[in-house]
Amino acid sequence: MTTSATDKPLATVGRRVSRVDAGERVTGRALYPADLVRPGMIVGKIKRSIHAHARIVAIDTSKARALKGVFAVVTSADFPNIAPGTIYPFGETGSDAWVSALTAMARERVTWRGQPLAAVAAVDGHVADAALALIDVIYDVLPAVMSIAAAREADAPLVFPEIKPKGFDAERPPPRNAGGRTVIARGDVAGGLAVAAHRATIDVEVDTAHQGYLEPHAAVAETDGQGNVTVWVSTQGIFQTEMQTAILLGLPQSKIKVIPLEVGGAFGGKITVHVEPIAARLAQLTGKPVQIVMTREEVLAGGSGPAAAARIQVSAGADAAGKLTAIDGHYVLDSGGIPGTPTTLLMQASAAPYQVPALHLEGMDIVTNKPRTEAYRGPGGIQAAFAMEQAIDELCLQRAEDPLAFRRRNASVTGSTMPIGTPFPSIPFVELIDRVAAHACWSSPLGAGVQPRGRGVALGYWRGTSMTSAAHVMMSGDGRPMVTIGAVDITGVRTAMAQVTAEEFGLGVDDVHVLIGDSKSSGYSDASAGSRVARTMAAAVSYACQDALAQLRKRAAEKLQRTADDLLYERGVFRAGSASIGLHDLMRATLTEGAVIGRGVSTKLPLGVEIAAHVCDVEVDPETGQVTILRYTAFQDVGRALNPPAVEGQIEGSVAQGLGWALTEGFDYAPDGRLRNASLLDYRMPTALDLPTIDVVLQETPVPGVPYGVRGVGEVPIVPVAACVANAIRRAVGVRLTHMPMTPERVRTAIAKAHA
Amino acid sequence: MKTIVSLDVNGTPCEALADTRDTLLDFLRGPLGLTGTKEGCGNGNCGACTVLVDGEPVCACIVLAAEASGASVTTIEGIADGNMLHHVQTCLIEAGGTQCGFCTPGIIVSAVALLRRNADPDDAEIRHAIAGNLCRCTGYGKIVTAIRTAAARLSTEPRL
Repeated sequence: MTTSATDKPLATVGRRVSRVDAGERVTGRALYPADLVRPGMIVGKIKRSIHAHARIVAIDTSKARALKGVFAVVTSADFPNIAPGTIYPFGETGSDAWVSALTAMARERVTWRGQPLAAVAAVDGHVADAALALIDVIYDVLPAVMSIAAAREADAPLVFPEIKPKGFDAERPPPRNAGGRTVIARGDVAGGLAVAAHRATIDVEVDTAHQGYLEPHAAVAETDGQGNVTVWVSTQGIFQTEMQTAILLGLPQSKIKVIPLEVGGAFGGKITVHVEPIAARLAQLTGKPVQIVMTREEVLAGGSGPAAAARIQVSAGADAAGKLTAIDGHYVLDSGGIPGTPTTLLMQASAAPYQVPALHLEGMDIVTNKPRTEAYRGPGGIQAAFAMEQAIDELCLQRAEDPLAFRRRNASVTGSTMPIGTPFPSIPFVELIDRVAAHACWSSPLGAGVQPRGRGVALGYWRGTSMTSAAHVMMSGDGRPMVTIGAVDITGVRTAMAQVTAEEFGLGVDDVHVLIGDSKSSGYSDASAGSRVARTMAAAVSYACQDALAQLRKRAAEKLQRTADDLLYERGVFRAGSASIGLHDLMRATLTEGAVIGRGVSTKLPLGVEIAAHVCDVEVDPETGQVTILRYTAFQDVGRALNPPAVEGQIEGSVAQGLGWALTEGFDYAPDGRLRNASLLDYRMPTALDLPTIDVVLQETPVPGVPYGVRGVGEVPIVPVAACVANAIRRAVGVRLTHMPMTPERVRTAIAKAHA
Repeated sequence: MKTIVSLDVNGTPCEALADTRDTLLDFLRGPLGLTGTKEGCGNGNCGACTVLVDGEPVCACIVLAAEASGASVTTIEGIADGNMLHHVQTCLIEAGGTQCGFCTPGIIVSAVALLRRNADPDDAEIRHAIAGNLCRCTGYGKIVTAIRTAAARLSTEPRL
């Protein structure tokens, strides 16, 4: 497949095009599942566990069923029992529908407070609420484990006694409540640390946080007379939603149609189904369209997945010349109420920025009685970098060396060894670091403040994924290309794909149309996750456009009575000498000969690893512990920015989320599993007053073998944020903050402790 | 129990039955079908449901529908003049200040309220005016730019 468009100057790709769907967004016309009204639609609501760990003895739904206005009540008895290891396709490894099933509806036991136990469908929300209150649940309450430390204690109650921990052996027996263990090791780490002239160990704890999308989970489901189910969703992946829903209902996948509406934020938390199969089952039982919309309290307190708490310890050593000798990292993630949170990507990500002859990375997940952990923007990356980049910073302090210079000397380069042992593809870290060094955010003096100030730096890496994307281009009767893609728009992908289509056809963005397909009108595409969609869908759209143009060329050749090879195509016109025909006339003349449909599938494209370097200035009030972000600059190599404002927007938003977790966002669980800050007042996400304008500097080093050379964008800009702030605080007030979020209370306590 | 609620919404008199427990937000989104106003939290913390009640920005999720009876309400659907967008809307599009879009209606209503009382706000005043509107996608920078640009445009080309 040619990538010719990459080689010539670009007319549309890379330009600051406004979102093609912005008009709907600024007028309130953009439609989310909570906005949808279907004829005769009724309301579904979910009954949730009030205990964090309990055996479900009985659920009596008879009083709820008897309430006037209630149409159906379901429990796990209304869904098939899904065995662990029921894998549905997703990327290279697939995902386990057992996890989705327990997330949607508890069976026999509850393993977190807020886990669904039953659901009702009623004429309106008030009746549904009354019905929920009439459902009697008899629990056999069990002791709950509410932290990694508590879960690992020798006498801790086992949350999943029947699940055998993976990756352990006699030499390394599993701790209590372990899920799985992964090790990446090469070289002599003990030796490397022993000979090091400088050694630093950082031990961090990270509290559970939430993705914090503004749109609560919502879905509408309805059935037809033939047993087909249609579900309108807010999801990251229509096909993953279709497959999970099919398995959870025990229906053939072909009988379900998933129609994506707008997604009001997702960040990893809208891959697993939550309300979709419940709405679908209620719709099947009642024969009516059913809408379920979560409340914010449900979203935060057990209805959707938070991001993993973590305990991470990193030791790093450097020789007298300032070269790293060894990295030893131990990463423990809190899986919440279902085992299986993966650790391998975050382990690799934390060590990947550096060349090091010896490394030992060990990761494991521990089950607790918190809500089941779900992905959050570079899952685990910010937690792991919080430890690693502070350890690197300690080495720099010990050496009294410029932290950029130390990082530059040790930075991974193209061809150096990845943590897993294979050579790095294009990874222009040194160039990015040089860009930081030359920028005013680094070179300008910090300036004196009322309170102590400090400047921090941290690197970030995220591998991202490629997986599969599909697009097709159908030529309209007026000669305009109409593109349908199988991925939802969570990052402005409609606009970026309109630019790619316009580029490929030599047309204006206004002359092309991009449609987000449903699961029956678009080709299989993996979910929008792992920083993959813009880059891999750009490839699919490029291939589809080239396929359509090849078909059009044949038709044009016939019309102009030339051979196809003799035709030149430019800006919507085929030419051969003085003869020419434009796309409009060509389609008008040949439409009745049949549709022109170009197909494009990109699968397993070369990786476009994401790298970032962040710099921030803080001011710390030692009396109150308040940390103010004075300035924040994020540098990132994006390969090629298809749409620079969209890329900047991803990075700015990512940094804002990272600053939230770094400073204020942490879930506060009571010992009994109750979430004590289950509102957006008490779970404190950054407001416009909390943040400075975040500056973004883009570097563009295209990835070879990828159409347009695009790298992943959306995940890495959250990775270094907390570490960057911690390093700045260290330089402001001389203390290391190792518990995230770094709340005023924790900052003040750390300062007081250091002075005691 | 149901009660009749009468409002002036976006310049049009509206009357419909509401449950006495329904909020103004429920009433706008349900009986009136004005779904541009969003529910992000249901307790006045996120600002996604911001509307103007008698010219003042309020969270429609913490006002009862019955309590708002008789008021004049402006929702996101009433900000543009027909198909002619308000400068705040146009500038948000141009600046890339809308991503997932869920907070956008509330932000626009808050910004319009600001510009009606302060034609030339500085960045601190802009940030203060939208401090009650959470946005999880943008980091706010492009939104602040958009509102600042809209203020400048309003001074040469007034549009209310």
